[in-house]
Amino acid sequence: MIRRRTDLPLSRDPSVRLLPWIIGLMTYLACLMLAGSLLLSELLGQWTSGLSGTVTVQVLPREREPARQLDQRVDKLVRILQRTDGIAGARAVPLDEVAALLEPWLGGTTALEALPLPRLIDVRLDMTDAPPMEALKTMLSNADPGALLDDHGIWQDQLAGLVGALELVAGFVVLLVGLATVGIVIFATRSGMAAHQDVIEVLHLIGAEDGYIARQFQGLALSQGLRGGIIGIAMGAATIWGLGYAADHIDSAILPQVRLLAWHWVVLASLPAVTALIARSTARRTVMRSLTRMV
Amino acid sequence: MRYGTGPEVLREVTFTLKPGSFHFLTGRSGAGKSSLLKLMYLAHRPSRGLVTLFDEDIATLPRRRLPFLRRRVGVVFQEFRLLNHLSAFDNVALPLRVAGVKESTIRKHVDELLAWTGLGDHMDARPPTLSGGQQQRVAIARSLISRPDLLLADEPTGNVDDALGVRLLYLFEELNRMGTTVVIATHSETLVSRFKNPILHLEDGVLIHQDRGEPAGGTGDPRDPRKPFGRGGTQ
Ligand SMILES: Nc1ncnc2c1ncn2[C@@H]1O[C@H](COP(=O)(O)OP(=O)(O)OP(=O)(O)O)[C@@H](O)[C@H]1O
Ligand SMILES: [Mg+2]
Repeated sequence: MIRRRTDLPLSRDPSVRLLPWIIGLMTYLACLMLAGSLLLSELLGQWTSGLSGTVTVQVLPREREPARQLDQRVDKLVRILQRTDGIAGARAVPLDEVAALLEPWLGGTTALEALPLPRLIDVRLDMTDAPPMEALKTMLSNADPGALLDDHGIWQDQLAGLVGALELVAGFVVLLVGLATVGIVIFATRSGMAAHQDVIEVLHLIGAEDGYIARQFQGLALSQGLRGGIIGIAMGAATIWGLGYAADHIDSAILPQVRLLAWHWVVLASLPAVTALIARSTARRTVMRSLTRMV
Repeated sequence: MRYGTGPEVLREVTFTLKPGSFHFLTGRSGAGKSSLLKLMYLAHRPSRGLVTLFDEDIATLPRRRLPFLRRRVGVVFQEFRLLNHLSAFDNVALPLRVAGVKESTIRKHVDELLAWTGLGDHMDARPPTLSGGQQQRVAIARSLISRPDLLLADEPTGNVDDALGVRLLYLFEELNRMGTTVVIATHSETLVSRFKNPILHLEDGVLIHQDRGEPAGGTGDPRDPRKPFGRGGTQ
């Protein structure tokens, strides 16, 4: 690489040598925050699209109701649902599936047979023409007072609220990290100017415009910002891969399967360019501003 | 003018430099020679009074135009102010680089001038490895490289023996003959008595003119009747 001749020996300043590492740390934090919030919104998208096409109808057994009678009630509701506009399909969940769902909480199946289990009906909605949930509820309770509709709405709203809050926090942290980076670059530029005040004055007196002097600083800031950004993104990618690897090797049943998508990686990979540009324009503005104090 | 809230170091100074003139600026140490030059190369603004350079009133000129004025002024600083991390070549090239001159042109001019000042063998040397006299010549070369309209030299022969001092003075005369207005601040009796140039003498911040017989200055190019520039009127 050809080193550009510069009029200021800035790259030898200790504060300048430290700069990429500090910017690297900042980029690392920003990278993790961004990756986390991208993953979360991906996760939320998967959950809601998985859930929102379906509703569940619970049919509660009456006191000492024979199973056969309960089956008849369920069949009747399934038939009504299948005739309803906007419903793609309805299916009674067989009793052993319900039992399997409850098994972790209630233990062996023999105990279950004695219990008056509610029966479940899986309803797939036609998402292009889904009926309003309220209308569906009234229709069901008119047909059978023991039928309850669970549209997972509350659960979805709470989840979306939580994810939204987490994303807000992540965005705030990214903002703070950006501000801190700007502060560090201002500090480094100021101390560089102070250390080379005499040289700056000579350049000034032999007719250098402010922009010429600022270029001495902004070129370095650009490359330091880029270097720091690459350090940060490399550490960030290593961390994300490490966590992904660890997640792959634990029981995946309870963990949702989410992966960063290609465009997520593009967003993260643009971070070094962003830090480099932030560093460059910060250095330029800092120099230009303090030069106006010279005659 | 004054430094900060200190006493006035220049009080009654009124003069106009004719284009193409060649003056010595004398006065005992602390009289204010360097201070007067600082006003002229726009390192300071006068606390009161008027400085006009190349027909521009410094006080009313927008800040962004000052660099272009400064490029027409060559300065040899009393303490050289070379950039220690740059080679002699790069130091001399600096005024051209700052002005955005092509690198090939820079190479040619700087090589030529360094050879002329006897520094051809030291082009890649950094200033700290040069002797005082060599550094002074680098500083002089830097002030001459852009062929300034006005050359201000503060003790440019302070670090060299009389013989070299006289040789350097011939360099300035050469430049003056090509039309550059020259002001040289000096203590050296030898130079002042040897060259019969008019003298600006400073005594406790007050300026006294001394014209001595036939002036060497004022022989600027007669085909170029520029208006007076470098008019100082600070008090
Ligand atoms: N940067 C400064 N801050 C405050 N006072 C200064 C400064 N520079 C010079 N002075 C004061 O201004 C006065 C004139 O100084 P100046 O350097 O102009 O003298 P000079 O004629 O160049 O002297 P010399 O021949 O020793 O170089 C002196 O009294 C000096 O103390
Ligand atoms: Mg002086």
